Formats: sequence, structure tokens, C-alpha cells
Amino acid sequence: MRAGSVSKWFEGDGGRSVATSEMSLDAGSLAGRLPEGELVASCRTGDALAFAQLVRLHEGMVVSLSARLLGDPEEARDVAQEVFLQVYKRLGAFEGRSSLKTWIYRIAVNQCHNRRRFWHRRRRDRELPIDERVLAPLAALERRGGESPYHETLRRERARIVQAALLELRFEHRTVLVLREVEGLTCEEVASALGVAEGTVKSRLSRAREAMRRRLATLLEGEVAS
Amino acid sequence: MTCRAVRRRLSGWLDGDLEAAQARALSAHLERCAACARRAAELRAVSGLLADLPRLEAVDPVEAPVALRLELAGGARRPGLAVLFRGVAAARPFIFPSLVPAACVLLLGVAALLALDPGPLPEVRLAPGAAWSVVPASGTEANPLFPSAEVLLPQQLAAVSLPPEMLAGKGEDSFFLETVVARDGSVAGVTLLEGDTGAGQPLVEALRQQRFEPVRYRGRRVAVSVYRLISRMEVRPPRT
Repeated sequence: MRAGSVSKWFEGDGGRSVATSEMSLDAGSLAGRLPEGELVASCRTGDALAFAQLVRLHEGMVVSLSARLLGDPEEARDVAQEVFLQVYKRLGAFEGRSSLKTWIYRIAVNQCHNRRRFWHRRRRDRELPIDERVLAPLAALERRGGESPYHETLRRERARIVQAALLELRFEHRTVLVLREVEGLTCEEVASALGVAEGTVKSRLSRAREAMRRRLATLLEGEVAS
Repeated sequence: MTCRAVRRRLSGWLDGDLEAAQARALSAHLERCAACARRAAELRAVSGLLADLPRLEAVDPVEAPVALRLELAGGARRPGLAVLFRGVAAARPFIFPSLVPAACVLLLGVAALLALDPGPLPEVRLAPGAAWSVVPASGTEANPLFPSAEVLLPQQLAAVSLPPEMLAGKGEDSFFLETVVARDGSVAGVTLLEGDTGAGQPLVEALRQQRFEPVRYRGRRVAVSVYRLISRMEVRPPRT
């Protein structure tokens, strides 16, 4: 792929003559990864390769977060696209008060919230039983490790139950749990990603953990006993 | 520290957010209270189960679709209407050729409408000296009624003999006349609507002498307009 044609792509008018099939970006071919500050600065100047690197760096976390929050891999993929379009449009307004990762998390959470409300208004979330709708496709997205078939089945079954319980929580509770426990953010980072006070995060976290404990009572009996 | 207070702080204790004194008191309570200790173990297990959830990955990377959508959003394939809402500098010449046929169709439509238009209606002109006036009251001599189910035909008081010159003539003649019977039963006017004016004049004069029973409509006397057709025909006896 010609690097020149790619760099024209984000310049708008100048890249019109380039066919869209040539537009996939190969950030892996970059000699080295740019530091975050330089990466943001390069993206702001319209550097297509820098933006491709940014997408590659954060694509996994955005898809994973969206899939956990929405429970639908197709929706998660759509939301991830929307998130990076928003990132591209709003990068000029990024002030650097939080890390780029936290800022992207915030956009992703907002997009998931909007998408959920959109479908909720259309009652789509009530059409299918939760297991059929969510859990089989999500399992297809999981990384495959070097586990034995028995342990892999066990792990998947446990993950299926936890994900189903997660989707039964209120969206605010689900969000803090996923950000804190699954994505491993600190309470301060979660507060920054959600745009709320740290005390609010801790309060929601406490209620969310308690709600999960009640929903996972059967599973926890075995976990606590062992 | 009570069980209730302990359970309210368990989440913070798991995160290490409690002050040292509070954390010590809570730990001491957990050593004494099996129920609270179990609750703490369950909450810790919840965190463990969530942390063990695998990182999900998209089957197809989103990088290429994002690139395509950015190209569409900022590139050449904007909707046609966008040309109306953007600056002149951003207008692209290849959009205008597509507007030319649309403009031609629009012009043809306007031209067809103009060609089919018959023009303004003829101007209404009043005769010199004429003026718009109020229609006279219904049932008066100037605006008589016509015979109907409620307005009966005026009954003649005395028969009128036709003028002898009419009977002396030859051939066939017919006269169509309008007689306006006034509210007092007299004849207000006779108008020859169709027929020879010269031959019909004696007939008009004779009809003006007629007298009628006044006609009433809803209790009041009204003027009535009566039309009549008078024909003269020559009748010959059949040949034997």
C-alpha cells in the first residue's frame, strides 16, 4: 500500500481520487510507536498513520467494553466505529486533563448509553431471551488460550453466568463494575471516564457489587467453599 | 462496629479505601462474625469472577470501517443537498453537471405552464351611464315571481278577444310572450320574446287589457311573470 495515498485520505478533498479499497491503514508498519502526546498532536494535524496507530492501540479495549456493556458483539462493533469517529472529530477538544485512554473510555460509555437508550425506545432489548441474544456471540469473541477443553468449557460457562448477571444490572452499576473490575481502572479513572465524583463511583460500586453478589448466589457457594 | 456498618463499608475495605483505624475495626469484626466474614468472601469472589472475564476482541478489526466512514463523511460522497449548505469554496465542480438536467426539467415545466395559461379573464365594462344597483325586492313588478307549487298561475277575470287582423291573415304564425301580472291584478307589462314584431303588436296591445285575480304568496300579494305561446295554424278539412 502506498503511504502517500493513505496520508491523503484524511486531508479530505485532496484524497478523493484514491479508491476506498486502498484506504485500510497499516499502522503496524510504523517503525515505532509514538508517545501519547505526540500521537495526539500528530492526529490533530491530520496524520492518517498516527490516527491508525491510535485506533489500533485502543480498538480492543473499546470493543471489549462495548460488548460487556451492551451484550451484543454486532452492536459493540458498530459502537466502536462510532467511538473512533467521535475521537477523530473531537480530538481538537481533548485538553489532556485525563489520559487519552480515559477520555476514549468516556466517549465509549456515552456511545453505549445512547445506543442502549435508542434500542430501549424501540423495545428491541425485549425481543429475545437474554441467553440466545447475548452469550453465544460473546463467547465467539473471547480470546482462546492454551486451556484444556474441560477447563475452557468450565471457564466459558462461568463467564456466561457472570455476563448474564452483569446484563441484569442497571446500566450505571454495570458500567462502574466493568470499568473497575474488568478493565482494571482505579476509582479516580472511573470517575474521570464517567464524569462523576469519585464518591459517586464508590457508592455505585458498593451497590453494584452487592447486586452481583445476590445474582450470583449459586455460583458463589462453590467459589467461597473452594 | 455493628454488622450493618461493616457491610456498608465492605466494598471500600476491599478497595483499600478505609482509614487504618476503621480497617482494623472492620477486620476485628470479621474475625468474630461468621456472617459478615462470609459476605466479605462473597464480595471478594464477585470481584474475582469479574476480573477473570476474558478480554473480548472483535472478529474483524474496526480500523478499516472507520477509515471508510471517515472518507465518506469528509470526502466526495456527500449527499447532493449538502451543496446548498456549504461554502462556495467547498463546492465541487462535478456536482454541477448533475444539476443541469434538473434545471432544464424545471425550466421546461415552467414554460409549459406559461404556454397553457389562457391569459387574464376579459375585463367587465359597464355601459356608459350605467351603475351597479340593488336588485328590486322579490315579488314586485320589477322582479316578479314565477309560477310554482306555492305561487299559483293568475286566474283571468275576463277573456280577451284576439284582434281580428290576426285571424284574417294566412299562414302559420307563433308568438312567445311574457306577461307580468301586477300585485293588483292589472298587467304591468307584456314583452314579445319571439315572433314577428309588426304582426304581434296588436296582440301585445290586446293582452295589456287583461285583468287577473291578484296572486298571493304566503299571505301577501305578489307580481307574477307568465309566459305563453300563442300559435295560429291553418286547419283544412280532410279530403274525401
